[in-house]
Amino acid sequence: MNTQEIRILSSQTRLNEEYIEVAKDDFRLTCVNIFRKHNALLRLMFAADERAETGCFRIYAVFSVKDEDRFVIVNSALGTDCSYQSITPDIPAAHWYEREIKDMFGLMPIGHPSPGRLVLHESFPAGSHPLRKDWSISDSELKVWSEGVVENEPYNFMKVEGEGIFEIPVGPVHAGIIEPGHFRFSAIGETIFFLEAKLFYTHKGTEKLFEKIGFEKGVQLSERVSGTSSFAHSAAYCMAVERLCGAELPERALAIRTLALEMERLYNHIGDIGNMCAGTGLAVGYAKGALLKEELMQLNARVTGSRYLRGVNTLGGVKCDFLQKAEDINSTLDHITIGYKQMMDMLQQSVSHLERLETTGVLSKDIAKSLGVTGIAARASGLNDDMRADHPHLLYHALHFESNLMAKGDVYARMMARAADAECSISMIREILSMRFDSRLAADIHKVPAMQQALGYAESPRGSLFYWVRSDSEGRPLRVKLRSPSFCNWPAMPFAVHGNIVPDFPLCNKSFNLSYSGCDM
Amino acid sequence: MEHLQFLIILLLSPLVQGVIKKLKALMQGRRGPGIMQPYFDLIRLFKKEMVISETASWIFRAAPYVVFSSVLCAAMIVPVISVNADGWVMGDVIALIYILGLGRFFMALAGLDTGTAFGGEGSSREMTVSIMVEPMMMLSIFAAAIAAGSTNLSRIAETHAIVYSPSHLLALSAFIIAVIAETGRIPVDNPDTHLELTMIHEGMLLEYSGRYLALMEWAHYAKQMLLFTIAIDIFLPFGITKTGAAADAAISAGLYAAKIAVFSVLMATVESSRAKLRFFQLSSLLGGAFVLSMLALLMYIMMGR
Repeated sequence: MNTQEIRILSSQTRLNEEYIEVAKDDFRLTCVNIFRKHNALLRLMFAADERAETGCFRIYAVFSVKDEDRFVIVNSALGTDCSYQSITPDIPAAHWYEREIKDMFGLMPIGHPSPGRLVLHESFPAGSHPLRKDWSISDSELKVWSEGVVENEPYNFMKVEGEGIFEIPVGPVHAGIIEPGHFRFSAIGETIFFLEAKLFYTHKGTEKLFEKIGFEKGVQLSERVSGTSSFAHSAAYCMAVERLCGAELPERALAIRTLALEMERLYNHIGDIGNMCAGTGLAVGYAKGALLKEELMQLNARVTGSRYLRGVNTLGGVKCDFLQKAEDINSTLDHITIGYKQMMDMLQQSVSHLERLETTGVLSKDIAKSLGVTGIAARASGLNDDMRADHPHLLYHALHFESNLMAKGDVYARMMARAADAECSISMIREILSMRFDSRLAADIHKVPAMQQALGYAESPRGSLFYWVRSDSEGRPLRVKLRSPSFCNWPAMPFAVHGNIVPDFPLCNKSFNLSYSGCDM
Repeated sequence: MEHLQFLIILLLSPLVQGVIKKLKALMQGRRGPGIMQPYFDLIRLFKKEMVISETASWIFRAAPYVVFSSVLCAAMIVPVISVNADGWVMGDVIALIYILGLGRFFMALAGLDTGTAFGGEGSSREMTVSIMVEPMMMLSIFAAAIAAGSTNLSRIAETHAIVYSPSHLLALSAFIIAVIAETGRIPVDNPDTHLELTMIHEGMLLEYSGRYLALMEWAHYAKQMLLFTIAIDIFLPFGITKTGAAADAAISAGLYAAKIAVFSVLMATVESSRAKLRFFQLSSLLGGAFVLSMLALLMYIMMGR
């Protein structure tokens, strides 16, 4: 491939974001070049309806360059034919993004190997694309849709045939109180040969809602996208809007955000390690994990007024100065550290538990890399993917931590990656609490500039999390794209469970701890 | 009066279940429901409406009765606190195991009957497990039966000496593993799980509701206590009354309660201290137990005790 053929229409660098605009026909080649030459990672891909401003749809692909704190954002305006060359054949990580764009904007990825519906339910009216600015739905269509009986675009499950293969459909309604997801196993006896997960049952129109309610209220909305990552979502959203406005945050706000992110990570990781015990039936480990998590959430409630750390973030900084409550946090952490150590010792000595974890649900490094797997799942498979280290933000450049890599990619590796990460969080929380900051909590944000765009990101407990915002000519949100880690990790799960036995699936699933709601905006 | 001892099993088995649940909760650092909870559950279920799948045949409707009555019949031939039941065909172990087998067979059929994936999975797994458990259970009982010179449970209980032979101990350990497997407990099955894909016993019951579910659950509680009782009769029968006198019966009942309590603690401890085994590794646990029972038998034959 030759880079000379590509004509760059415009390029613009702001902070660590480098926007490269190319012609539609060069989009694929540019992406592939960046992907291959810079060993870049596709972080997210999305479209925006800019017809009011520029008369066309625009697609964006965000890459993060390896070993550099730099994002390259390739974008192209699409003409009236609403199609572009799919990059999925070269960059498999793009497969869901392109299908999502097709559902929400009606932009066709030409050459996508499996361009069926992803986000929209099959009863959703055909040819109706909700994120288009001129989208509307009639009452009769709404009725048909909400009843969910008519298949406007049928969903075709992969059919595996052969001797001894039988299908096990599971969900979308489950025995436990969890979110809806349909899993179709093609099993040979107890061994899983193929798994297809059909998600996206509860589309909530979050991105559309972001456009309507304005930047200010978006903070509260972002806190409610995914319960267990409430803070990471709002931190990433606020960051995007603050960068859009060019606001400089006071150090104290950065410290409080970092602190809250680590507190959120800690309660999640400890709870998740406990949940993995529920997958193996080790009731004592489960109870212990739930107990520690509860203590941490009560700490959250004491210092911020919210168990999920909601209401802390605001555009320009934070509203709640819980650095003052360092004593409570420190003493609770002392207690948690002891309990956590006991729990890990107990788990490490439970041969029956470890035996279930080891060699179960192996996700190979190659598959993790090509599907763009992120967070714990990536680090457990030997991929060094950690936004805190790759793109230091908030206070992370000043803190001491390691990204803990595991090699094997099995359930055990994911448990240990979580455990190491949790210990890191504890030491980071202590480090922040020992630092001194001035007392200003938030920068003033007067006005959102028109026609600007910016990225915001965070390392949530599940992995990298992105928000991209663009303002319209009046300084209102034109497009808010959010990409949660689960959106990257769900497609990897069928690969991890291949060859495992059906009763081990819940354990594999728990080890990834994926959110249904978080990727179904 | 001795003929009515099965009522002890029938009426007190939910209590035993409640006690085991309470013990487990305490071991996990939880408060747990009260020990009477299984009774309340049964009463609630008996009052509830039933939802039955349109694809269910008569097997689905008959199975709860067959399962319940098979446990009931089995309970009737097992001596609980008295072996003095003159004229009554008390306790042939071979009959007992086959009566229980009938219940199991119908439960597996019912799991398959509605055609759901989880029911089918549960039935298939239950049958896989029972292939390994049944012979192991038989052998361990035979080891004791040969020593007593009879397959009649009353005889075995009567002739048993307090002194234990190595063969007895081996057979007892194999039998305990069989009890764990038969009652659907960890490490074989997880009775508390909501994860449909991992279920064995619960999987077969998923389609049941209301009265039928109550019968199935009650049968399960009763079967659990019945198996404890068989273990007590065969391996720990000391103190069981042979005369039927009131004073003897009272001592016997007290001892029986203590022994059941020991089994409850044992079950709760095993269940709280281990994770469930990977399904395909059940064969090593159950196969190991089979070897134990085999050794018990061989040891008796070769050592004569």
